[in-house]
Amino acid sequence: MSFEEEVDEIEANTLLGGAPFFSRPGGKIFIIWLVFTVIGVLIGFYAPHHLLPVMQSPEGGDVWATIVFFTVLAAPVAALVYAIAFYSLFAWRHRSEDPDVPPPDAEPQRGNGPVTVVWLAVSTVLVVVLLFWGIAVWSAQQVSHPNALQVNVTGQQWLWTYSYPGTGVETRTLDLPVNRPVQFNVTSVDVTHGFWPAVLGVQVDANPDVVTVIRTTPNKLGKFIVQCSQLCGLYHAFMNNTGDVVTSQQFDTWLQSNGATPTAAATAAGTSSSGSTTAMGK
Amino acid sequence: MTTAVAPPLLEDTQLGPKAGGFYRYQNIWTGLGFGIFLGFVAWLVSHATVQGSNWGTDMVVTCTMVAWVVGFNIGMGTFNAPIHWILGHDQTHEDELYAAGVGQGSSRYLKFCTDHKVVGTQYLVLVMVLFGVGGTLAMMIRTQLITPHSSFLDPQTYNAIVTIHGMVMIIATIIMVSGPFANFIMPIMIGAKDMAFPRLNAMSFWVVVSAVPCLLATFFLGGVNAGWTTYAPLSVQAPAAMDAFAMTIITFVVSVTVAGVNTIVTVVTMRAKGMTMGRLPIFTWGTVVGGALGLYAMPAFLAVMTMMITDRATGTSFFVPEVGGSQWLYENIFWIMGHPEVYVILLPPVAAVLEIASTFARKPVFGYKVAIAGFVAIAALSIMVWAHHMFTTGWAPNLAAPFMLTTELISIPTGIIFLCTIGTLWKGSIWTRLPMWFVYLFVWNFIIGGVTGIYLSDVPADQFFHGDMFVTAHFHYTLLGGAMIGATAAVCYWFPKVSGRMLNERVGKVAFWMIAIGIQVTYFGQFWEGFQGMARRIAYYNPHYETANQMSTAGAYLLMAGWLVFLYMMINGWRHGKIAPANPWHAKTLEWKVPTPVPLENFLVDPVVTSDPYTYGEGVPDGQEVPESAPAPEPELVPAGSAPGDQIDAGGAS
Repeated sequence: MSFEEEVDEIEANTLLGGAPFFSRPGGKIFIIWLVFTVIGVLIGFYAPHHLLPVMQSPEGGDVWATIVFFTVLAAPVAALVYAIAFYSLFAWRHRSEDPDVPPPDAEPQRGNGPVTVVWLAVSTVLVVVLLFWGIAVWSAQQVSHPNALQVNVTGQQWLWTYSYPGTGVETRTLDLPVNRPVQFNVTSVDVTHGFWPAVLGVQVDANPDVVTVIRTTPNKLGKFIVQCSQLCGLYHAFMNNTGDVVTSQQFDTWLQSNGATPTAAATAAGTSSSGSTTAMGK
Repeated sequence: MTTAVAPPLLEDTQLGPKAGGFYRYQNIWTGLGFGIFLGFVAWLVSHATVQGSNWGTDMVVTCTMVAWVVGFNIGMGTFNAPIHWILGHDQTHEDELYAAGVGQGSSRYLKFCTDHKVVGTQYLVLVMVLFGVGGTLAMMIRTQLITPHSSFLDPQTYNAIVTIHGMVMIIATIIMVSGPFANFIMPIMIGAKDMAFPRLNAMSFWVVVSAVPCLLATFFLGGVNAGWTTYAPLSVQAPAAMDAFAMTIITFVVSVTVAGVNTIVTVVTMRAKGMTMGRLPIFTWGTVVGGALGLYAMPAFLAVMTMMITDRATGTSFFVPEVGGSQWLYENIFWIMGHPEVYVILLPPVAAVLEIASTFARKPVFGYKVAIAGFVAIAALSIMVWAHHMFTTGWAPNLAAPFMLTTELISIPTGIIFLCTIGTLWKGSIWTRLPMWFVYLFVWNFIIGGVTGIYLSDVPADQFFHGDMFVTAHFHYTLLGGAMIGATAAVCYWFPKVSGRMLNERVGKVAFWMIAIGIQVTYFGQFWEGFQGMARRIAYYNPHYETANQMSTAGAYLLMAGWLVFLYMMINGWRHGKIAPANPWHAKTLEWKVPTPVPLENFLVDPVVTSDPYTYGEGVPDGQEVPESAPAPEPELVPAGSAPGDQIDAGGAS
């Protein structure tokens, strides 16, 4: 090996040597980092778009947005760990004829104050961002609407019962009018169940002797599934039913077909006062 | 030059015919026999007296299980020494040597043996048996889920299997590093001759052994159908299997607590001269912090299961809502145990990973003190995050933000651990022996487990993901992909010291790739199910999730096959492996400076410690060595100006 080649190799192996950026270790690690970051971000966009069910409420939209946002924040950090690990495995791996002989000791490095401080600072900033995001989204979801449609949800082994106060309607399927705030008052008559209408982006346990409350506003028409999310015994897997987000007129009709008086149904569906129906979404 | 004369080995001592006293007649068979006998007597008595009462079956099962555990341990000899002391006798030196296994050959592995290396090996075998049981149950779960409405298992059996898979794995992962390696390796690492309390050490092992049959008995007592979390009130109404389940946990907590105290006291009081806390190998720190955290966490498990038993067997109502109890009380106490517990599982293997990374990068641990601070910070924060398991229970909604804060804060010290790991790899001379491959796999998996954890820490996102397969995939990435792979690295790393033989790394590489790929396929399948909204712990599912489930099952079979290859490698290595040199990895910690097999009491000559063990590349002699022969005894220190005879008076006067 000529002197120049040796110098080239030494320079190529120093992070800030004179070689072109992408042939230096720092440059190569940067490329691996970039690739992993891009993959991470792509997964962050692909997974919620294509794998999550179609969300039917703003809370469901928050789930979607949170996944994307957190992935974009986390991908560069995870990618950095991967980049350095992969680079160390390929570039600093020591191959010798006799695998029982250890490679010569590396240059000792017992720590690096500035790197540790930067690492701590960046992770602290990221945590603060995550936290603010979480609190902002969570508190925006806590608004209660005085005119919300009340639905009493009762879990028992192994079925759900929904009742609509004021209408006398009690059913095994959960119909909801679109774009109308709804408040679920959830309880159980035996053991703990989990009330989980997944596409509405909300979930709360059904506890015996306690009423727990969640709120949402369905904003997309269509059927969905309510599944029990707490193991509740023998037929836990079968403790599900379909729900349906419908227009307020359909909801009115549905309530009446389930035994509500026309007046009560119109009050519950919000179709009683003239004109309010046209304000509802399509 | 005087030639070093090796002192006689303790294990070659000829013991008298009465050495050991009662221990001579005790082994696992007397333990099993007396345990079954006492359990049967308790069953007869309780069946005759309380069976007809309100909670009869529960009382009968509880009494039988208590009697079995006590009887097994009496039969094993767990209580021999304390009984001797109560009766005013003492154990002679010969008795103690007998209890440490002298003169019993390999039969000491089936006895109450106080030698920490025997206990460590016993733990290693037990952990492998438990993983075998838990893994078989996992395969049954995955087989059931190949098709949406499989008739492979009925729902009752399925629920019981899901529960016991969880609990067996929790028990196995808690002891998988703190059992074998904190017992076998850690005392040698710090230059100690044994653990601080050798009898308690043996006790911790045989007590956990006696817990295992209680857990497996649940299958024959109706099955626990409530998941490993056994949420009340479902578990209060569960079949009598739940009593056996609770007794398992109570027994297990006794074992973990005893072992945790023993680990801490050993490190605090038994270190060799010169082995300051700042010179301890990083693995020792991991076991100490993990053990200390266990002392905080596990008693809550004991408390909650004791309350569970009294609810079931005596009619108290801690967790029965209609008579004033609260299911939220159960959930809180359970998770006050449950979240620290995952770090009890994680910290020892993570510390082992740092130790191994240092050896195979031929570099000091990057940021030794920062890593220790990270362990301590993780432990401290982990006791304040429990309610993130309860975000969707409806309990205390206004505490969502504080618990979101503590949960997300814990990612800072966890990030520090990652920094220390990649800092150790940075510009190292990477020696890719088998343990190092598992270190890389640990890094890969644990990042995925960590990143998916932050979605779950966020309350709005958790409202979708809670109780969903996404959670299952997340914690399997951390506990299997992270902790258990770290423990696997530790097994590969310390196997030559434990068994005296080398592993066949070619077979190991095959196992490695099967395990590595198996994990990704299995749990990416489950992430997919989770995104689609499939609930956990269901025996039948919507056909919509079928493809994802089949992917996960295919991965699980590959993973199991990988573990079987790994098991073959271990058994084959143990029986036919190449004889291992004392220090095959040319590492610098003390356990590699003693001969293999390690003699009884480890050090024939006291070790000399002048620095920490991470002097790679620093051009100085190792700071942790075992000299070939003992140095001449130092002259006794005498206060200046006094004659030797005055020493006692001088001491007494001060």
